[in-house]
Amino acid sequence: MLTGLAVVGVARFLQQRQDFENATARSYQVEIAARNRLAGGDNPTAARAVIVTQQQKRQALRDDIDGETRDTALLVGAGLIAGLTGAALLFSGLISSMRRPLEELVEASGRLAGGDLETRVKIGGLSETATLGAAFNEMATELQRRAGERDQLETMKDEFVLTASHELRSPLTSVQGFAELLMLERDKLSSKQADTVEIILDNTRHLVRLLNDLLDLARSDAGRLSIKPAPTGVAPLVEDAVRTMRSQTEASRQTLHSEIEQDLPQVSVDRDRIRQVLVNLLTNAHEYSPEGATIAVAAAQRNGAVEIAVSDNGPGMAEDQLEHIFERFTRGDAGLTQHVGGTGLGLAISKSLVELHGGTIGAISTPGRGSTFRVLLPIEPAAAPGTPDRVEAGT
Amino acid sequence: MSRVLIADDSETILLLMRTRLEMEGYEVVTAADGVEVIELMQRDSEPAPDILLLDAMMPRKSGIDALRELRAAGVQTPVLIVSAHQDEMDAGAATDVEVSGYITKPIDFDRLFACIAELTA
Repeated sequence: MLTGLAVVGVARFLQQRQDFENATARSYQVEIAARNRLAGGDNPTAARAVIVTQQQKRQALRDDIDGETRDTALLVGAGLIAGLTGAALLFSGLISSMRRPLEELVEASGRLAGGDLETRVKIGGLSETATLGAAFNEMATELQRRAGERDQLETMKDEFVLTASHELRSPLTSVQGFAELLMLERDKLSSKQADTVEIILDNTRHLVRLLNDLLDLARSDAGRLSIKPAPTGVAPLVEDAVRTMRSQTEASRQTLHSEIEQDLPQVSVDRDRIRQVLVNLLTNAHEYSPEGATIAVAAAQRNGAVEIAVSDNGPGMAEDQLEHIFERFTRGDAGLTQHVGGTGLGLAISKSLVELHGGTIGAISTPGRGSTFRVLLPIEPAAAPGTPDRVEAGT
Repeated sequence: MSRVLIADDSETILLLMRTRLEMEGYEVVTAADGVEVIELMQRDSEPAPDILLLDAMMPRKSGIDALRELRAAGVQTPVLIVSAHQDEMDAGAATDVEVSGYITKPIDFDRLFACIAELTA
């Protein structure tokens, strides 16, 4: 308001200044004319009176304009101060009306990034922040929709794998069962027929393994891969796995031996699952190693855990292969794996299973010399009372 | 020799199991679902089976549901649940039904015969 007055005041002052200059100029003209008449000796008294009057008149005009100048300067100063104050007030108002919504946006972004997809901001304030808020909400809604779609797809995938695995298992049971039935009367088959049935059986077992692996992975992805840990002796666990592999390694004239440290403490594991891991490591060692190779299983206590190492003197792996060996569908050298019956999922599942136990799994290898896979398993804490689930799981 | 009742909705699997069990010398009775299992168990004309092998998932009435009914009716016969995968076992184990054991498909017959021998001894 004051600023407006100041502007009007300055305009009025400029007009007054113009009037003053015009009036002063006219006064000089009158005085000069009077002086000319005085110089010409024409009625000197009257001329002098005019000169004095004009001088007084100009003095009055000057006093007037000086006053006006002072007032205008004051007015302009006040206007300026008022204007600046107003601007400052307006600005701080602007800032504070932007700050709240912006702070809210920052907080909401944090929550959204943290996974709370329900997060929305209140839309309000200045049109700019309101637009920003609306855009944020739109983005959050879209994110939520996509996350929902993705979850739905994930669920569908898991359901599909579960159903497929279930539906495929019945016909596989028949194929494997009847092939086994044929093999029971092997002496009635020609050797060519027996070989054929053996091939059917091999492939059926491979399919079953693939199904089991896929199912485990689907469970693992869905967070449904569960274990029932119980105090378990290491020696029977290792011996059980070795026994399972014995016929296969003997068929390839491979040496399979185990070395189990005396007085190992019990480990806290799901027996079936760790057996699965060991059989898987032994199967890899068996399948990737040539005929006549040596496969060793060693169990020992290491840094408060029990380490089970499976070594072979097979072809080994290069550094870049080793890096990806625990990823799904990763296998060693493609040329080498042509004849290998693995699913490419075994190590990924083994890793999930060992980690589910709170253990670790790792591999070292030297190309041309062989590989060693090490599994570290947690030692069963001294059987304390009040752990009913373990006692139950052990029965 | 022991009498075994097997229930599965797949005729092929019934044939497979019947053949293998008969080769082992067992007497075999078959049922296509849980409803037939209940009917067979209520029949007094034939001798009661010594052990039941029930498929976990069957139309009309699942093996687990049939087992629950039988146990509620006071039937104490040992029962092995045959299932296509672990999840069903977990589901079965979570219920309060008393099961003698679980067999997974594809069936490991050596293991199955060992279980039957132990439970019917």
